[in-house]
Amino acid sequence: MTRHDFMIKWGVYTLALLPVWFLEAFVLPRYPLFGVSPMLLPLAVVVVGVLEGAAGGAGFGVGVGALCSAVYTGSDGLILLGLCLIGLGCGALSQYVLRRDLLGCFLCALLGLCLLDFCRIALRMAGGERDWMAMFSLAGREILWSLVFVAPVYALFHWVFQRVPKKTHF
Amino acid sequence: MKDFMRNNGILILIIAVLLALIITVLSVIMTGFADPLTNLVGIVSTPFRNGINAVVNWTEEVYSDAFQQDALKADYEQLKKDYAKLQEELREAQQAKDENERLRNLLGLKERRRELNFEAATVTAYGADNWDSAITISKGTDAGVTAGNCVVDEYGNLVGVVETVGTNWSTVMTIVDSDMEMGGLIARTNDAAILEGDFDLMGQGKLKLSYLPETSELMAGDQVLTSGLSGMYPSGLVVGSIEEVRTDASGMNRYAVIVPETELNNLEQVFVVTSFDVVE
Repeated sequence: MTRHDFMIKWGVYTLALLPVWFLEAFVLPRYPLFGVSPMLLPLAVVVVGVLEGAAGGAGFGVGVGALCSAVYTGSDGLILLGLCLIGLGCGALSQYVLRRDLLGCFLCALLGLCLLDFCRIALRMAGGERDWMAMFSLAGREILWSLVFVAPVYALFHWVFQRVPKKTHF
Repeated sequence: MKDFMRNNGILILIIAVLLALIITVLSVIMTGFADPLTNLVGIVSTPFRNGINAVVNWTEEVYSDAFQQDALKADYEQLKKDYAKLQEELREAQQAKDENERLRNLLGLKERRRELNFEAATVTAYGADNWDSAITISKGTDAGVTAGNCVVDEYGNLVGVVETVGTNWSTVMTIVDSDMEMGGLIARTNDAAILEGDFDLMGQGKLKLSYLPETSELMAGDQVLTSGLSGMYPSGLVVGSIEEVRTDASGMNRYAVIVPETELNNLEQVFVVTSFDVVE
């Protein structure tokens, strides 16, 4: 794949990310369900990781992590590292263990979101927060509500995946 | 003809004079009504006039359809544009009216709280993270906003505290955020306690009032204000009202659940308290 193809490919993925980001940052927080709004940007990383493999997923995770740091108030660079690892892990899982389809995406999303929220809970508990029941309840609602969006996010990025050059070199 | 006029002229003249007299008299008597002759002519001619009128109208319609359709279409498009413009102006007027009302309320607040200096800001985004409760506003360091400034709505109800400041934006940690902690005062009893965010209550848009004095007798509906004891935040800002009093998991301590006075999910404009005089 030429440098030109490479630029176009990831440019198109970035464009596909825009509506997802818009929904997550501006629309869905206004209509929370059970007090939470879904995490769509991490889902996008999971889906791209599954479709593009470990390297593509990790690279995309870094980009989305940077965006997350800007969108999520109070989040720090850890989310960037976390999303990079999630992209890498989901890519590796899809390459060696799972199939690159909706079901594979669903399982990776479940694992990825659980890992993300587990880290959040661990960090808060380390920071002195003791209400772990409330935190697990929040994490559970957040993960379940987010999983509802796996199919539409997968559909969007799969549509893009079918139209961009396939092989990624880093 | 000459003979006829010579023999009957006088008679004809008399008949004409009589007819003229009759018509004159009748027209005087029937003021506002047509005289019989005119009426008769009208009765006979009306169906013809109606028929002619219908034909003329039909012809005009056909002409309009055939030759004026483009002009009508243009008029319609122009009207549509005018309508859209008027709608937009109406929306703008409504927004201006809302803003005017908010500023009037702020003016009242400024009169009441002369020791506070306000900076108006617009809410540009709501926090997307479920683990925090925050909003982003449109003013930052260039407007004199600094971290730790209190943010209120137009009625002076506390919204939160500025957490991060950019050049022309700031993020505000709302009063229900789990990291929130400040001094509170129960207005009715003057008891001081600590206002703090709670993870469980945050999702319900509420916070709690902890470290209640053992002797305090609280009632649902009691108003809670900021105490301003630390000097970091102004005193007397309305936080909310007590919904209920609960006992914590240890069973040793009581805390009150506070429902914020401000509508945190429905904020458009807020006011940052950029500076204040400590009232002793």
